[in-house]
Amino acid sequence: MQLFINIIVLASIYALIACGYVLIYRVSRVLNLAHGELMMLGAYLVLATASLFAGHPLVALGAAVLLSIVVGAMVYVFLMRKMTGEMVLAAILTTVALGILIRGVIVLVWSAQQQYPAQALNLANPSLTLVGDGHISLWSAVLVATNILVYGALFGFLRFGRWGMRMRAAGQNPLLAAQRGINLHTVYALAWGLSTLTGALAGILMALDSGVTGSMPIIALKAFPAALVGGLDSLAGGLVGALIIATAEVLLIYYVDPLLSDVVPFLVLLAMLIVRPWGLFGTREELDRV
Amino acid sequence: MSSVLLSVEKAEVVYKRAITAVQGISLSVRDGQIVALLGTNGAGKSTTLRAISGFLGLDDARVTEGAITFDGHRIENRPPHEIARRGVVLVPEREKVFQNLTVAENLAAPVPRAADKRRLEDQIYQFFPRLADLRGRVGGLLSGGERQMLAIASALMCRPRLLMIDELSLGLAPVVVQDLTRRLIMIRDQLGIAILLVEQSAAVALSISDYAYVMENGRIVLDGDRERLNSHQDVQEFYLGQSDGNGQDSTTARRSYRDVKQYRRSRRWYG
Amino acid sequence: MFRSTPRASGYYRTGYGQDLALIQTRTERISLAILVTLAIALPFIAGPFLLDLACQVFLASIGALSLMLLTGYAGQISLGHAGLIAAGAFTTGILAREIAAPFWITLPASALTGILLGLIFGLPSLRLRGLYLAVSTLALHFIVIYLGGEYETKRGFSTGILIDPPSLAGFKLTDGRAWYFVLLLAAAASLMICINLLRSSSGRAWRAVHARETVAEALGINVAGYKLLVFVISSSMTSVAGCLFAYYRGFVSIEAFDLFLSIQYVAMIIIGGMGSLLGALLGAAFVTLFPYLIESLLALLPNIQKFAGDIFAVNYTAFGVVMILFLVFEPLGLVGIWRRLQNYFLLWPFKYRPLTGARK
Repeated sequence: MQLFINIIVLASIYALIACGYVLIYRVSRVLNLAHGELMMLGAYLVLATASLFAGHPLVALGAAVLLSIVVGAMVYVFLMRKMTGEMVLAAILTTVALGILIRGVIVLVWSAQQQYPAQALNLANPSLTLVGDGHISLWSAVLVATNILVYGALFGFLRFGRWGMRMRAAGQNPLLAAQRGINLHTVYALAWGLSTLTGALAGILMALDSGVTGSMPIIALKAFPAALVGGLDSLAGGLVGALIIATAEVLLIYYVDPLLSDVVPFLVLLAMLIVRPWGLFGTREELDRV
Repeated sequence: MSSVLLSVEKAEVVYKRAITAVQGISLSVRDGQIVALLGTNGAGKSTTLRAISGFLGLDDARVTEGAITFDGHRIENRPPHEIARRGVVLVPEREKVFQNLTVAENLAAPVPRAADKRRLEDQIYQFFPRLADLRGRVGGLLSGGERQMLAIASALMCRPRLLMIDELSLGLAPVVVQDLTRRLIMIRDQLGIAILLVEQSAAVALSISDYAYVMENGRIVLDGDRERLNSHQDVQEFYLGQSDGNGQDSTTARRSYRDVKQYRRSRRWYG
Repeated sequence: MFRSTPRASGYYRTGYGQDLALIQTRTERISLAILVTLAIALPFIAGPFLLDLACQVFLASIGALSLMLLTGYAGQISLGHAGLIAAGAFTTGILAREIAAPFWITLPASALTGILLGLIFGLPSLRLRGLYLAVSTLALHFIVIYLGGEYETKRGFSTGILIDPPSLAGFKLTDGRAWYFVLLLAAAASLMICINLLRSSSGRAWRAVHARETVAEALGINVAGYKLLVFVISSSMTSVAGCLFAYYRGFVSIEAFDLFLSIQYVAMIIIGGMGSLLGALLGAAFVTLFPYLIESLLALLPNIQKFAGDIFAVNYTAFGVVMILFLVFEPLGLVGIWRRLQNYFLLWPFKYRPLTGARK
């Protein structure tokens, strides 16, 4: 039972992060390797807002979440906008450089020590007992619930929302979308904002559960295979991919070797790339976009 | 005479800060006019279209000289969505529909949401009744002709005042092209919009246009109304593939366009 | 030597020998002579610190050149370069440690590891392109690093493996000056290999594959074969660089080969300028020297103590900023700046190249 809960929690973490990769990739065909750093930034923003709104933990959390949307949109407006039309490699590297930059700045501002936003907000993290003698921490449970909520909202938005449809249109054929009067910059900024929002949610909830250090982006790097296994342009794929990766990771760590934790996602990824490079649910696109 | 809607004045386009692709061309389109832009590959037609519709930035190119004015507003080097909202809408040569969106979604995606959107949609389904039957079909599964119809239809959803069509006839059967040109004239007459056609097939273009320009090497070398161009010897010979006036049959006397042109030019220059 | 641009005034070749010659004009001969003299004279002028910097640049150059071959010319993106360097370094470390293998065994062994890994890294490229290929090399990087880490912990070298300096015919290579010449030679040799590969049929095939695979295939180029070839050559060169690195440092530890190193190598070829060997060299020098530059700049600031503890964070930040600046404002890299200067003087007083015969 506990193993099952662990899998669900880990899968939720990966899924929540993976949908950020999917959003940006689907709309602008850019792989955002700074996603982990942006997620970590969200967690650190809670520290900042916690001291700003001392005594109002919910306000502080809300402010941090809103700020993360702004940060995401700003990343697009001030940086990625200049990379439209460049090589894929250049765009990816720009996000890598951005990640490096954010990491450096975070250490400069908040130091490299482990920090606990939950303490700063005076929030407890009790362990809940579930049926079958399984335990789950409060914030992990919140994370699972948030994940379900986020995916539900995103599905609805992309399927039925007017801007959701425009995002799909822009992702498929940006030139034509621009011709039809869709402001690509708005769509892309929206995608970046939403993606950073989901990432920040994941980061904040993880930080509330177990604190935050500079090594948090590694988790996002491990969530990336989840997005790819499911199919980089498919939301549903993100969920399924996360479940697969989390299951494999938890079981292998439990039964084989804890050291494997860092490579399992990438082993699964390689296997997937060999069998079906475009992922379980992804559309089989032309793979040569260099 | 109707007023000038779009005017390009002595525009020059430079790619990558190094290569000049269009050298000082001027053209104008009037309200309700169908204008054709002719020329072989590499003449600079597409670059001109891109300059008008604002797509140069993606190729690291820009209009360095001259002006492009639409309805009294300067639009050179403006972003494409802004130009589209002003009423200049392009039907591109390739990838002209959203492949994974249905026909209905393709028509719903354009941004300037007119208040009478339903009426416009009905009107468009009148122009292209075929599309009404295909409403739920995904764009990628349409045939070439249906795709061209959908592209024009979704462009019309932007309420254009100037519709630009890049290579209307490319890859389409003559029957389909004939049908499309008939519908285009219908659209022009009913919606009162201007149309700018970029074509390699001069026969198609000259059959419906009121005025035409011929481009070559980044310059406009010839222009005039339909009658003038249709009777112009060079055009007859090189674009329409007719006999060159000496009674030779077109199939036997089809010479390389460039060679003859060069010869004729030098003859003109050197007397 | 690195130029493909036409010269300003008429220089005409009258025989195939001239066409094949690497050094074609007198200016080139003179500048090369000056360069060589400077390179030879440097260790006798510079102190040990500068020598160490030069050695690091040479080591990085080998890695950057091989990555340029792979990415800049054959168009195969790799984010697993650090894994290959690690493979070479670990082959050397393990062999030296376990069976006390001498230099002349570990070096070819490293190259062999590189060839094997090149085949493995290259296999996905037969099916994947662009982004997906980059991701697969990234995955392989993590797997190589994992294996190295496993070895370290299982054998009890969790802090790293110590390696004795290499000895050849009774001569121990410990002196900084001697190292300088060895690494200079190695870098020069890699440069020559790259130049010659690129101007032979393989180089043309790689460029064709880069431009459009389907067309290359239609022209009778064995696309799969040439892709594997470039992976094999590039990774064996990289592995050799890893072997030299291990000896030079005298110490191998898995921490040195994290993802950041891979990114640094990619940064070298981007900052230097894609598709140019000169760019690889310039980029290698720039990225290697950059942290030292930042450090010395920081030393000039008055309140240095404030940052002293976070010097690596400052470095990180600055590196991120510089990389972004290059990517956004000078996508052609240092070579791009160089070429523009050249063009400016060649074309002066004109601004643009004419339409006909334009170089894209």
